Amino acid sequence: MGESTFVEKLKSGIRVDDELVIDCHAHMGPWYNFHIPGDGTPESMVENMDLVGIGMAVAAPHIAIGPDIKEGNRQVAEAAERYPDRLVAYITINPRYPLPEIEAEISLYHDLFGGIKGFKFHSSCHGVDCSHLGYGPVYEYANEHGVPILSHVWDGPDKDGKSFLARQAAAYPNIAFLHAHSGNSWDVIRKLTAEAKGHPNIYLDMAGSGRPYGGLEYMVKEVGADRVLLGTDMPFIDVRCQFGRLLAARISDDDKRMIMGLNAKRLFNL
Amino acid sequence: MSSDAACGSRIECMDCNCRIGTFEHMEEPHFTDVDGLLAEMEFIGISQALVMHSWASHWSPRLGNAKLDELIGDRDNLYPCYVALPSATGELAPPAEFAAEVRARRGAVRLFPAEHQWDFTPWCAGELLDALAARSVPALIDMGQTNWNQIAAVLEQYRELPLIILGTSYRINRHIYPLFKKYENLYLEVNTHVMTWSLEDISERFGAERLIFGTGLPETEAGGALAQVRYNKLSDADKARIAGGNLRSLLGMEEP
Repeated sequence: MGESTFVEKLKSGIRVDDELVIDCHAHMGPWYNFHIPGDGTPESMVENMDLVGIGMAVAAPHIAIGPDIKEGNRQVAEAAERYPDRLVAYITINPRYPLPEIEAEISLYHDLFGGIKGFKFHSSCHGVDCSHLGYGPVYEYANEHGVPILSHVWDGPDKDGKSFLARQAAAYPNIAFLHAHSGNSWDVIRKLTAEAKGHPNIYLDMAGSGRPYGGLEYMVKEVGADRVLLGTDMPFIDVRCQFGRLLAARISDDDKRMIMGLNAKRLFNL
Repeated sequence: MSSDAACGSRIECMDCNCRIGTFEHMEEPHFTDVDGLLAEMEFIGISQALVMHSWASHWSPRLGNAKLDELIGDRDNLYPCYVALPSATGELAPPAEFAAEVRARRGAVRLFPAEHQWDFTPWCAGELLDALAARSVPALIDMGQTNWNQIAAVLEQYRELPLIILGTSYRINRHIYPLFKKYENLYLEVNTHVMTWSLEDISERFGAERLIFGTGLPETEAGGALAQVRYNKLSDADKARIAGGNLRSLLGMEEP
């Protein structure tokens, strides 16, 4: 592998201005569990993105993965309207809401945006798993319209020796199943790369605080750079954490470009 | 290195958190020797490093520290991070002698109270902490080895002991900010404190002097840590301090 443009930029602190860079895993706003400097406002997020050259982020507000999806979806829709070239809305669903309210939420944002760009599940925060019946309308909509779903984890019951994620990926071939935090530890990396190998619509999101040495390179070797996406978890986690990891990775610059933004552009139809 | 290096855009990175030696949970791409570490430093643009040996942390502090000396020798860009123990069992040189030797080598110490079965408290480690404080030897400790109450008590009693906290996660501001405010001898490695705007916020509230660049090589890749010190809103002088100036100052290699 020859000299990497991106490694040299990182070493010199030169911003990546001339590439398509899309963060597939962002949040928004404050969070009860810890202090976030800047309070995670859209302005603060865009400024954080500008530090390194991230052009666009797909976001699900903290309040949506917490107590109130309707307020969260409203917040991100407003932010996307204010920053149409920088912020894209995930519509977050808590399956504990009554089914008609879930269907109404999907319908509302389908009409507002002329089609939803992505869905966000956080089954852990919402205290369910991804097989919950309340997610049903999302699976149906996402499969019909080819919309990606990012989930914190793809938990659900195993059946006939297959994981819930494997069964869902087979049942809904038009959905890109994005697995959040896929590169955080070697245990997770080995498990998810094996899972993704058998299903072309499973994708691996980098977001998180863990950066095991060689882990990103392993993910690319095992599943291909076209199945890995840059995610940051901003504003839980600063964009510099995973973006620096990607710049420094021992993979080709073309692979980095796919992970950096080309894959997300294709999947989210941006 | 002169203090001029802290001015302008010259940033000389010095890593406070590197290790050599084989270890239990190695993955295929890990390097374990000095040559591997030097190659990685060259690849990512790190000039100097404070290095610990895995034998010292996970086998024998005494023999691991000796092995470290043997391996890094007199290289001008690698500095020793010795593993220290309380004095009661007599496993290492007497504290005053040990601290003087570490200082003479422009080194630091790493503490593992949880894994090495001692308490990070004055009743257990008082003689060691007294000796380290008397020589201003920097002590590095991972949050997994202690807790905030112990850290607060040690900072209070040993005001001359530079204490560098590692392995914190990004959720610590409500714990560490009151300590930063009260104790000037508290420092934070930036590698795992990856909260949004952490460098900028801590620098603005408490000064960039409190932040230390480190990577966690070879278990953690270095690009994420490097991006924090290379891409930020701080002045070039503050960038240079965090990247290496603060650590070199603590080790007695350059003026603050």
